[in-house]
Amino acid sequence: MSPNFTLYAALALYAAGTVMALVTLFTREKRPQHVALGIMIAGFVAHTVWISTICIRTHHPPLTNLPEAAGFMAWVLFAIELALFIRYRVHAAAFFVYPLVLMLLTVSAVVHEPFVRSAAAVSRLFIAHILLTTIGVAGLLIGLAFGALAWAQDRALKSKQRGALWDWIPSLSVCKTLSYRALAIGFSVYTLGILAGILWSYKTSAELMDVRVKQVAAAAAWVLFAIVLQAYVNDTYRTRRTAVIGACAFVAIVVAILGIHHV
Amino acid sequence: MPLIAVGVNHRTAAVDVRERLSVATSQMVPALEALRAVDGIDGVAVLSTCNRVEAIVSATGEDVIEPIVNWLTQRAGTDRAELEKHIYILRHGDVLKHLFRVASGLDSMIVGEPQIGGQVRAAFMASRECGSLDSILSQVFDQTMRVAKRVRTDTGIGELAVSVPYAAVELAKKIFGNLQGLQVLLVGAGEIGELTAEHLSSFGLEQIFVANRSHDRAVELAERFHGQAVKFDGIEPYLATCDIVIASTAAPHFVIESSHVERALAARRKRNLFLVDLCVPRNIEPAISSIDGAYLYNIDDLQNVADANREIRMQKAGEAEQIVDREVDVFRRRLVAQDAVPTIVELQHRLEDIRTAELEKCLRKIGPMSPEQRAAIEQLSTQMVNKILHYPILQLKEAEEPAERETLRKTIRKIFGLR
Repeated sequence: MSPNFTLYAALALYAAGTVMALVTLFTREKRPQHVALGIMIAGFVAHTVWISTICIRTHHPPLTNLPEAAGFMAWVLFAIELALFIRYRVHAAAFFVYPLVLMLLTVSAVVHEPFVRSAAAVSRLFIAHILLTTIGVAGLLIGLAFGALAWAQDRALKSKQRGALWDWIPSLSVCKTLSYRALAIGFSVYTLGILAGILWSYKTSAELMDVRVKQVAAAAAWVLFAIVLQAYVNDTYRTRRTAVIGACAFVAIVVAILGIHHV
Repeated sequence: MPLIAVGVNHRTAAVDVRERLSVATSQMVPALEALRAVDGIDGVAVLSTCNRVEAIVSATGEDVIEPIVNWLTQRAGTDRAELEKHIYILRHGDVLKHLFRVASGLDSMIVGEPQIGGQVRAAFMASRECGSLDSILSQVFDQTMRVAKRVRTDTGIGELAVSVPYAAVELAKKIFGNLQGLQVLLVGAGEIGELTAEHLSSFGLEQIFVANRSHDRAVELAERFHGQAVKFDGIEPYLATCDIVIASTAAPHFVIESSHVERALAARRKRNLFLVDLCVPRNIEPAISSIDGAYLYNIDDLQNVADANREIRMQKAGEAEQIVDREVDVFRRRLVAQDAVPTIVELQHRLEDIRTAELEKCLRKIGPMSPEQRAAIEQLSTQMVNKILHYPILQLKEAEEPAERETLRKTIRKIFGLR
């Protein structure tokens, strides 16, 4: 089976699942939401096959260029979303996570970059850097998704008006707990990833960090997520300021991901 | 095999009629036995709730209706003509639709109420335990419970609270998720407050504290909820430890003020506080609703939630009716097909016997032939028989009315000489 076939199959299934999930936002029906999840899981299986194929072909994680890294990030995001669904039966984050997964995998399918077998790519420090930052970013994005849900739930409860998401959003307590845990764990892992990157950079080029868009955006994202996390610790996450900083952190992360090119 | 339902419900009969007809659990077995003894009844179940009393039977014909009405008249101890004004009689597909609607809560006084599903299950289980459920009613029961479950799962019709106390419970769940381990402070002993605390207590709360101007009344209420009575003028410390506060006093002023809640939230270390003000004049200062982490709902807010939920329930009831209609159609076809199976099997055997006998005769006359020639002749005869059987079988499967089906079955048996 061609790797591209599994990539396109995953993309098609993710697209179908995402559209169906978004439609249920308006119809408020549960069955289509379950069907959407089933389609997404089928996409995830195809996605896993695609990633495994790359691993087998290259003998290291699929992180050597932007298409691979975006694909791997999408895979980790959906894996976390699925784990949370199994644990908490929460569908609501899907409205944020599914489109994000679809967007990242679309980047994988659309952007064509040559596979570069470099010595760096097989360095343990580099692999640790990429794996940790990818998993950390996935955790942070999931944290932002649940943070947005907690914010929406808080607004709905305060204004005493049901929003479109009312039926889908879990309790405020669950949103807040999941958001805080995902942000805290994601931030810790992301920090370790950045440290591994700095060490790898120092080892390979005797410099702690390049000043390129990717690195600057990643550092900015780290600072912004630190502020968001602090807002959770201080219980000031409901403020407009935190929402704006969270949005900026999201943009910074997206820029950092899109800034990934071959090493 | 006709399905028939005879009974009264909250729309056709007043409570004084329903209470005379109602069948208590202890009377269920004799009631089922009495109906089962009626000539022509193969299976029977009796559904008796505060809103309805119905006998659901599978029978050989509609002549069983008369004895069922007599049985009801006897129970009501009234004039038959008087009772007939309240009785409805449903047949065949209408019985299925009625049962599916009843078990799904669509025929209830409060549309979507969840208790009825359990009551229908209990009625059929009682019938099954005393051997009054034949295979048809057994299938009807299983399908009824499946449809009720599907309606509830697919539409979520029973999930939304339509009363003020339940609206408070629903909101508490939206804030805290699991209510287990939470602490509640009930301030005052108003009726709705008490009812709200009662609903909340069924979700595994850790503790209920009760404060009232009359401490004796507080103690009495606290004992009822296995809680603890506290002094009315000493409630402030409990705001810091309790998660839900229900105010239901007759005080003409604010009992809980913004400053109390601000101090309590500072001590609560980020845990939310849900305040329910069920009093007029209000007992909780409205400005509290602007404090982060405090969620204040007064009686009008809760009534609005309940009203909005009721509207959504009605929308969901429309979706549920569509599910019921589809399920009735599918299940009725299945029952019809199942009813026709013995005749179809017999018909197929009869024609197969004729085919093999005539084929043998024909082959003997023709004499030796190649295996290919023999197979061709066999195939020809099989195809002819299948084509002859096609329309009679189709008609048998599609005849939905029992009377029509019975006429068709008799005609086919006569024409093809079946026993």
